[in-house]
Amino acid sequence: MNLSGGATDMSENMPLSSKMPTVLIADDDIPNRLVLQAILEKQGYCVLQADDGVQAVDVFSREHPDLVLMDIKMPNMDGYEATQQIKAMSTDAFIPVIFLTATSDSKGLARCVASGGDDFFTKPYNRILLQTRISALLRIRELYSTVQYQRNKLDNHQKRFDREKQLAKRLFANIIETGSLNLPYVQSMLSPMSLFSGDILLAAPKPSGGLHVLLGDFTGHGLAAAIGALPVSSVFYGMTAKGYSIAEIVTEINTKLKMILPADIFLAACVIDLNPGSHTLSIWNGGIPSVVIYGEKEQDITRSLSPRHLPLGIASDESFSRRVEMIEIRQDDRIYIHSDGITEVANPDGLMFGRQRLENVFEKNTDSAELFDEIRSELIKFQDGGAQQDDMTMIELRYNQQQLEDTVFHDKTQTKRAVQPSSEWDFSMGLSADLLGCFDPLPLLIQSVCDMQGFRGQRQQLYTVFSELFTNALDHGILNLDSTLKGTADGFAKYYMEREVRLSNLTDGSIKIYVAHQPNAEGGLLTIRVEDTGDGFDYQENQVSLESNVGHSGRGIQLLNTICEKIEYRGNGNMLILSIVVQKRNIPVAFEI
Amino acid sequence: MSVTSEVSTDDNTITIKISGRFDFAEQNEFRDCYYDTSPGENTQFIIDMSGANYMDSSALGMLLMMREYLGGNAANISIINCSPDIKNILTVANFQSLFTMD
Repeated sequence: MNLSGGATDMSENMPLSSKMPTVLIADDDIPNRLVLQAILEKQGYCVLQADDGVQAVDVFSREHPDLVLMDIKMPNMDGYEATQQIKAMSTDAFIPVIFLTATSDSKGLARCVASGGDDFFTKPYNRILLQTRISALLRIRELYSTVQYQRNKLDNHQKRFDREKQLAKRLFANIIETGSLNLPYVQSMLSPMSLFSGDILLAAPKPSGGLHVLLGDFTGHGLAAAIGALPVSSVFYGMTAKGYSIAEIVTEINTKLKMILPADIFLAACVIDLNPGSHTLSIWNGGIPSVVIYGEKEQDITRSLSPRHLPLGIASDESFSRRVEMIEIRQDDRIYIHSDGITEVANPDGLMFGRQRLENVFEKNTDSAELFDEIRSELIKFQDGGAQQDDMTMIELRYNQQQLEDTVFHDKTQTKRAVQPSSEWDFSMGLSADLLGCFDPLPLLIQSVCDMQGFRGQRQQLYTVFSELFTNALDHGILNLDSTLKGTADGFAKYYMEREVRLSNLTDGSIKIYVAHQPNAEGGLLTIRVEDTGDGFDYQENQVSLESNVGHSGRGIQLLNTICEKIEYRGNGNMLILSIVVQKRNIPVAFEI
Repeated sequence: MSVTSEVSTDDNTITIKISGRFDFAEQNEFRDCYYDTSPGENTQFIIDMSGANYMDSSALGMLLMMREYLGGNAANISIINCSPDIKNILTVANFQSLFTMD
């Protein structure tokens, strides 16, 4: 397909070819013409002739000569008029017209120039002089054509480039959707240096509640950076929607970028997981300046989380570190993540904004709600019209448990295929201790269930149920963690730290997961049974402990109660049964633990 | 000219000196400093930043290119005499895990 519309008219303005130029002689005096013709043909020029002005214009329009020798006094139309018409016909190119005149009277010569003549030549002719004048003017014509040709070519390239850029920009915007940045607890700025920013800012709600955010800064700007941004965003959105953790997401992005990018292009990136269920912030930071936590109670910076890892796309799979830090976060604390473009903003003297000036803004602040705007206006004030060095990207996240839990998860991962007929199927999965320490089976389980039965719009419910059941079996059945730890102020962070330790030292135990689907009149019944090798507990004596044992913060069990028909323990307390009714499009589910 | 290189007399050390801005404009000069060398197994490369006052992320990329060209993990490259600003840029990117730094 030819996208370079208009390129075909370029040929008309190609530089003159190597063939000898054509000269038109317009003169009513035949002997004069013959003399000139002889001189010119001896030089190798092609010669055309005209008896008067009318004929000259006619021949010119048909033959497109390269130069015209024009007598002034001719019948029908004089040389002035003919020159004006010829010049009017050739506005795109330079066709030199040399007047042939008997007089050297200045008035007449001025008229030659006024009517468009480029030179004049006084009779009788000096052969050498005439040749010199002609070849000089032809050289100018050649130069003019070359410039014209190059200009047209550049014009066409520019037009094509602009068109392709616009198209790419539209595609890019469709793929790098940033819809989730419009949340009430998020403020952000992304000011790209060029059409394609080297910075990316992505945010996506998790199916289990909470939010994933990625702020990235590619080496360089423009197209190369934009191309890298495409797989990053698709992995980020896709894996978040499927319930993968940020450790798994950064691992996958690193593998992809390492594979497609040359060695000198990489992505400095910070990925965070805001978890309203556990009041925790998980962070993986590779090459992004320290992330600042601003305490609402303290009205000051309470934590500064420095980058712990290499940027993405550098380390090989074997040496890549996916270690995530987890810290406790309190209501209304603010999290600031920014690219180095913020601190590298330069004023007209070339001085950089720097970390210290940024921290000063935090220090001087008296109303945390204004902080983001204060930083922005300080940056603009400092920049004072100076050139922007890099992309300036910053995001502020205010931790608000309720708003985070209310953030709606949109399931975009499922294709709009027809709902499969309700059918009978089952599968089971067994996980041994060494696998439990490093593998999260939930995304795989949920994807399998969704693929087999097409639970459209129910991914979040399924995620909640699977996640509560599996976490319960792992944390309490296998790892013997005490959930009362979560009751204390900084208990969550302690709980998860302890969980990390026990998980990495795990040598015994296993978890079996069994999933089955049975069609019924209403649609179907999904049964999930999760069984661990732990000691269990006396569920008959202590039904209350169901609440503290399933999930965290009580939110889990409440949700399960609304989703499931029946919740029932079996065995020695290491098995639980739940059953749920699902309508034809909202397939019912039954669970056993 | 802001990138120069010198080879020590015993041929075991190649020192590349950077001065002024270390960015994409220096790409070719910088690459030439290690492209044409024929390093032995024990050749030590030293990047002397004492004259450099600025580096950007494309310079980080150039360092990675060099490391890859010289054998990845087998490359022996030290970065010395960094100003605090340059040291900060290198450590934010955790380059101390790839290069020897003073």
